Amino acid sequence: MDFRLSEEQEFFKQTVADTVDRLIMPKVEEIDRTDEFPWDLWREFTGLGYLGMRYPEDIGGMDADPVTCMLFYEELARASVGFAQSVTMNMLMGTYFLFRFGDDAIKERCLLPALRGEKVATICFTEDQSGSDIGATRTNAKKVDGGWVINGTKNWITNGPLADFATVLATTDPTKGAKGLNFFLVEKGTPGFSPGQVMHKLGCRGTVTGELVFEDVFVPDQNLLGEEVGKGVIYLTEILNEVRCMTGALAIGVARTALADAVEYAQKRVAFGRTIGEYQLIREKFARIAVEMEASRLMVYSAAWKIGEGQNPRNEAMMAKYHATEMCLMAVDEVTRIYGANGFAEEYGPQRYFRDARFLLYGGGTHEVLKNFLGKEVLAGRWRS
Amino acid sequence: MRIVVLAKEVPDLEAQVRVVNGGAALEVEKRRGLNFFDEIAVEQAVQLKQAQGASVLAVSAGAGTGVEALRRALAMGAETVLLVDDPALDGADPLTVARALAAAARREGFDLVLAGKQATDDEAGLVGPMVAELLGVPCVTGVTALEMEGDVLRVSREVEGGRETLRVSLPAVLTVEKGLAEPRVPAVMGVMKAMKAQISRVTLEELGAVTFPPLVLVGYSGAPARPPVTMLEGEPATVAADLARLLREKAKVL
Repeated sequence: MDFRLSEEQEFFKQTVADTVDRLIMPKVEEIDRTDEFPWDLWREFTGLGYLGMRYPEDIGGMDADPVTCMLFYEELARASVGFAQSVTMNMLMGTYFLFRFGDDAIKERCLLPALRGEKVATICFTEDQSGSDIGATRTNAKKVDGGWVINGTKNWITNGPLADFATVLATTDPTKGAKGLNFFLVEKGTPGFSPGQVMHKLGCRGTVTGELVFEDVFVPDQNLLGEEVGKGVIYLTEILNEVRCMTGALAIGVARTALADAVEYAQKRVAFGRTIGEYQLIREKFARIAVEMEASRLMVYSAAWKIGEGQNPRNEAMMAKYHATEMCLMAVDEVTRIYGANGFAEEYGPQRYFRDARFLLYGGGTHEVLKNFLGKEVLAGRWRS
Repeated sequence: MRIVVLAKEVPDLEAQVRVVNGGAALEVEKRRGLNFFDEIAVEQAVQLKQAQGASVLAVSAGAGTGVEALRRALAMGAETVLLVDDPALDGADPLTVARALAAAARREGFDLVLAGKQATDDEAGLVGPMVAELLGVPCVTGVTALEMEGDVLRVSREVEGGRETLRVSLPAVLTVEKGLAEPRVPAVMGVMKAMKAQISRVTLEELGAVTFPPLVLVGYSGAPARPPVTMLEGEPATVAADLARLLREKAKVL
């Protein structure tokens, strides 16, 4: 058992950390304050070429293994979960099905520009009555001569209102629930495809999240992203483990920044003649954050390593997402308490970490859904300690 | 034009450093990278490569260290790197390091050697000028501007109250100061190249570099703890009177 990163991975992590510190960190407060998508930062950062890192080199990628990708996601979230979500949308969910099933023209027109940051990608799952319950998807695609006609409304779409193209989950057979779903590519400018309301969020400000509306949107046959009708959910499972580990890595990133700020604060802030870091109840908070963070890191990176080894660590990826996100929520909460009333002030970072971290609860499955599934797995003997 | 950049690997500026073993050694957190000023040298070299078609070789010297620094140089655009890796370089003094680097530059060939004006760990600022002396070429330190004028360089450096501009014929050694060039954020192509690169290594013996320990480390001592701060409160006139009294009686500076 060897838990070390390779020398190359160490170098990569340090390089990304430096890049994040120089380009993103100085802008995060302004992004949060203005709640505007940071186009200049987007162009500058995506221009470096990281967006394709998990894809093969011949399409501009790095062919990076999942562990290396997690290092990237973690460093990104150290600065901003919101910006990380916009970036990772182009890196993974928003482009994967184009890479996997798109024809050459689709790859040329959408995938490659998205990996260069020239186009913004998104993926649409959520609707007003479906989220984790993916089988309840009501957006539908009807077969017509030469293609499909899509109708429905999607919400909570990260990058949605900005997106140049969207991978849309729609049912092709409403009687089959989760077994009647497929992914379709819909490009900006297609008649009937329009952005709806923009959501006003508690955190992750600057990331534009909103509705996408499909009214009799015709797409040609080649925009069905998948070889077989009704297999959408099966294709989705190809990246679901990675998505869940990624959310865990983002959670670790946020918690690291919160912890680093709190360490500095606790060593400076004086109460009753001593720095607050000298009080046991404050130290207990640091101990708990450190312990849970260490556990989260082991879980996220071990699950990611298994993905890279070609295994299907479905349960471990769920556990990693669940544990790391809960760790993060606990950590950002404790850090606001370490800051006392200053944790409630916009002039300090903790309130932002506290707000941003909440968004990690939902992607990759709510914890209620994940725990229900995991409990069932344990009871069915499919997971053993 | 062939440019050799001297690239030292140093502890990260935020790495924790403690004096241990009663002053006999330093315990340094293992976060290492390319020296801040050497990064500027690499950037300048890469800009010359892009503008003049120069070739850039980054050289580091260490005992099992230097790989991180050289990978950073590769990521930024250096074409090749060389690590002088030898146990004799463990904690070596500036002259030993300069002999190693000068021998490497001589073997590899150079028109211009660029180095940071100092390293952020020991801040000695000796290696660049020593390499110039060992190579028998001119040296300008603390360069803040540089341009090619035919086959000579026009360089500037900050001096008290102004700026000094010099023409330097090649080959030469320049040490660079903050302000000369803004180090780039490496793009992924460079990062990939750096990750995959096999780092060429050479020993002091292979370079024929003569070393001996002309300096012997006696020990370290930490900076003295800062004396406690006294805050004076009250009406301005009272505070001023108290301050004057403390400066006279306690600090004894009045």
